[in-house]
Amino acid sequence: MAILEANQIHKSFGNKFNKQEVLKGIDIRVDKGEFVSIMGASGSGKTTLLNVLSSIDKVSLGSIKIEGKEFTGMKEKELAEFRKHHLGFIFQEYNLLDTLTVKENVLLPLSIKKVSKKDANQRFQKIATELGIYELKDKYPNQISGGQKQRTSAARAFIHDPSIIFADEPTGALDSKSASDLLNKLSELNLKIDSTIIMVTHDPVAASYCSRVVFIKDGQIYTQLNKGEQSRQAFFNDIIKTQGVLGGVQNEH
Amino acid sequence: MNINYLIYRNLKKNIKNYYLYVFALIFSVGLYFAFVTLQYDPATDEAKGSVKGAAALGAASVLLVAIVAIFLLYANTIFIKRRSKEIGLFQLIGLTKGKIFRILSAENLILYFGSMVIGIFAGFAASRLILMILFKVIGVDAEAALSFSTEALIQTVIVFAVIYVLIMIMNYTFIQRQSILSLFRAVSTTENQIKKMSFLEMLFGLLGIGLILLGYYVSTKLFSGDFTSMNELFMAMILILGSVIIGTYLFYKGSVSFIFNAIRKSKGGYLSVNEVLSLSSIMFRMKSNALLLTIITTVSALAIGLLSLSYISYYSAEKSARQSVPNHFTVANSNDLAAYIQALTDENIEFKQTKRDVIQVNADLSQVIGANLEVVSGPGEQQPMVIPVISDESVEGIDVSPEETLFTGSSDAIQQFMSIQATGDIELTSPNQQIKQQLIGLEKDSYVSYYFASGGLPAAIVDHTVFDKLAQDLDPKIQKETNVYYGIDLVDPIAIDQANQIFKDLGISESTGNLSQSELIMNQKSNMGLMMFIVGFLGLTFLITSGCILYFKQMDEGEEEKANYTILRKLGFTQGNLLKGIQMKQLFNFGIPLIVGLFHSYFAVKSGWFFFGTELWLPMVMVMLLYTALYSIFGLLSVLFYKRIIKEAL
Repeated sequence: MAILEANQIHKSFGNKFNKQEVLKGIDIRVDKGEFVSIMGASGSGKTTLLNVLSSIDKVSLGSIKIEGKEFTGMKEKELAEFRKHHLGFIFQEYNLLDTLTVKENVLLPLSIKKVSKKDANQRFQKIATELGIYELKDKYPNQISGGQKQRTSAARAFIHDPSIIFADEPTGALDSKSASDLLNKLSELNLKIDSTIIMVTHDPVAASYCSRVVFIKDGQIYTQLNKGEQSRQAFFNDIIKTQGVLGGVQNEH
Repeated sequence: MNINYLIYRNLKKNIKNYYLYVFALIFSVGLYFAFVTLQYDPATDEAKGSVKGAAALGAASVLLVAIVAIFLLYANTIFIKRRSKEIGLFQLIGLTKGKIFRILSAENLILYFGSMVIGIFAGFAASRLILMILFKVIGVDAEAALSFSTEALIQTVIVFAVIYVLIMIMNYTFIQRQSILSLFRAVSTTENQIKKMSFLEMLFGLLGIGLILLGYYVSTKLFSGDFTSMNELFMAMILILGSVIIGTYLFYKGSVSFIFNAIRKSKGGYLSVNEVLSLSSIMFRMKSNALLLTIITTVSALAIGLLSLSYISYYSAEKSARQSVPNHFTVANSNDLAAYIQALTDENIEFKQTKRDVIQVNADLSQVIGANLEVVSGPGEQQPMVIPVISDESVEGIDVSPEETLFTGSSDAIQQFMSIQATGDIELTSPNQQIKQQLIGLEKDSYVSYYFASGGLPAAIVDHTVFDKLAQDLDPKIQKETNVYYGIDLVDPIAIDQANQIFKDLGISESTGNLSQSELIMNQKSNMGLMMFIVGFLGLTFLITSGCILYFKQMDEGEEEKANYTILRKLGFTQGNLLKGIQMKQLFNFGIPLIVGLFHSYFAVKSGWFFFGTELWLPMVMVMLLYTALYSIFGLLSVLFYKRIIKEAL
C-alpha cells in the first residue's frame, strides 16, 4: 500500500527572469513500513525534495498524496493540521526547545491532539524506553549529549504515530558511535511498529541502514537501489559504487 | 558600494527596526526642550512667581535628562549587541576597528541628530500646549504665548550632545574589547544556562514574596499609632522600602520561576503550546532580567504613587478647603469684619452672615480614642485635650439633648492617628465643673474654621444649656483671641472673585484667623497643580522609556526564539496557536511588572494619603487606569512584532 505518492513534482525558485529549477519532475512512491533514504550531492535538491514532500515548502507543479490525501492545494492552516496528525520530523540540528525538559519536548506533538495525560505518559514511557532516553526525562537539552538530543528528537517524531516520518540528515551532527546507535534504533522501530521513514542523507553508512536508496542528481531521480536480502555491508558497497558513478563533474569537451 | 552607501543602507534598515527608539528619542528631546523653554520663558513668570515654578521645572528637567540618558545608554547596549554579527563581518572583510567605529558613529549621528531636530521642533510646537495645560491645572488665567528661546535650544543641544558622546564612548569600548570571534558569538553568550531549580532558588522565591508582604503589612501600620517616636517611624519607613525593594528583586529572581515551576511540575511534562511559549520561556528570562525589572517596577510604583498623591490633593482641594473654612469667608477680628461688610455693601454684593460663639474647653477623650496618644502629644505629658465647643442653637438642623455631644469636622489625617470612635463617654472640664457627656457621632462637615480647631481636632456641638454652663466658667488660659466665629457666604457665587479681591485689597487676608475659602482652593490647586504637572510629565517620560526598554527586550527575545517558532510550526502548530501563546506570554511579561508596581504604589499611597486630601479611591484608580492603558500599548506593539516573527519563521 502506498503511503506517499508524488507525481511529476517541480519546484523552482526566483522570478521569471532568473528562474532556477531545483526539482525537475520527480515521481516517488513510498509504501507503508518502508525505510527510504534519499541521496545526492550538495545542491542536487534532496533537502528541497524533503521539504516539499513534508509540506513545509510548496511545489510549483505536480501532486503529492499522503495516505491518499492530496495536500498540494491546501491552505496554511490545513497544512498545519495535516502535519500535526500525519507527519513526524527529525532534523540535523535536533531542533529541541531549550527551555523544555526532554519529556516536555517529546510530548509536544501530543498537546495539540487532545490526548489524555495518562495515555500520553504511557506513550512516552514506551517510546522513551525504546530509544533509551527515559532516564533523562527531566533533563534540559543543554545537559545531554548530541546523540541523546537526536534520540529525543526521534522520540518526538514517533510519539504521535504519524503516517510518515521525515528525517533531514539526522546523523549529520553526530559522531559515528552515536550515529550508528541512532540508526539502529530507527531501523528497529521501523521493523517493530511498522513505521514509514524517509531520510535525506549524504552519508553512505547511514543510507545502508535503509531498505531502499533513491539517488537524485540535478533535480531528477538518477537511480534506485533496493537492499533486498543482501547484508548491510554488501548494500553499503553498492551504494558507494553508485555514488562513484553519480558524483563528479561532467566532462566538458 | 562604498562606505557611504553602507551607512545609508544600515540606516534604512535601522529605522524600520527601531522606530520606537526614534520615537522615544524625539519625545524626550521634545519634552526636554519644552521644559527648558518654559523655564526661560517670561510668560511663565506668573506661574513661577507664585509657586517657585522655575526651580521645580529646573529640577524636573534634570531628572528628565537622567531618565533619558539611562534609557538611551541601555537601549544602545541592546542595539550594539544585536549588530555584533555585522560588526564581525566588517572586520572579516578587512575594515579596521576605527573605521567600523566611524561607520557606527556616522549612522548614529544621522539617526540621533535627525531625531533631535525633529524633537526640538515638536517640543517648540508642543511647549505652548504644555504651557496651556500648566496654566489650566494651576488655575492661572493667562494667555499662553511663547517665544523661541535660544538659551533653551543651546541647552538642549548641549545636553543631548553629551549623551551622544557617552553613547559613542560605549560603542568604542565595545568594539575595542571584542575580537572577530567573540563578536560572532555575542548573541549566544547572552543566553543564560538553563538549569533545574535549586533548593536555594526556591528559598529565595519564598523569601521574596514574604519580604514584599512584610513591607505591605508594616506600611498599613505606619501611621496607625504603633510607631510612637519619630525615630521609630523613620526606621519603619526604611524597613518598608528595603523589604519591598529587596523582595521585588527576589520575586523576579526566584518567586516567578518558583511559581511557574510549580505549575509546570503539576502538568507532569505534558504542556500545551500556550504553556510552552509563556511559562517555560518567562521563567528563565525573568531571572536574568531581575535587576532591570526591579528598577522598572520600583520607579513606576514611585511614579504612580506620586501622581496619585498629587492628584488626590488636587482633586480634594475644594473639599478640604470647605473643611478648613466652612463659609466663603471668615473673619476673626470684629474690626476687620465691619470694614469688610461695609466694602461688600458698597459694591452691592449680597451676602449672608453666620455668627457662632466658639469656646475652648478641656476635654477628656480617653474613652473614645483608640490610639496610643503618646504619638500625638509626646511621651509622658498626658494632658487633657483642648477642643472647640459650639452650641447646637447656632447650627441649623442639628439638635442634641443635654447629655449628648456631636463631633464635627473630623479629618482623615487626625482620624488615622487617633481613631476616635463614633460613640462613647467623654468628659468636658471647665475650672469649676466636670460635665459627663455621651458622644453620639462623628461628622466630616465642619462649622468653624480651622483657626479654632487647634491642630485639626474635631469641634464639639453640645446642647445650648450645656454650652451656657461652660461659657460662664471659661478657662482663660486656653481661649483664642476671639470667641466668635464670623462666616460670610455670598448669595451669588459668581461675585466670589470680586469679593476675594476686596478681601485682599483691604488687607484683611493678612492677619491670622481671616480666611477665604476660594483663596485656599486656589493655593492648593496651584501648588499641587504644578507638582502634578511635573510628576505627570516625568511619569509619562518614564512610562515611555521603560515601555520601550521592555519592548526592545521582547524584540531581542523574539528574534532569539525565532528558531523555536520554526520548530513548532514544522510540528504542525498554526500561526494562530503560536500567537495565542505569545499573547499569554506578553500578558505575563508586561503584566507582572505592572501589577507588582500597582500593588506597591497602592500600599504606598494607602499608608499616607490622608495627609494629602480627603478622597482616596477615585483619583488613585483614575491614575492607575491611565497608567495601565498607556503601558498596555507597548504590550500590544510587542505582540504585533511577534506576529511578524512567527509569520517569517517558516
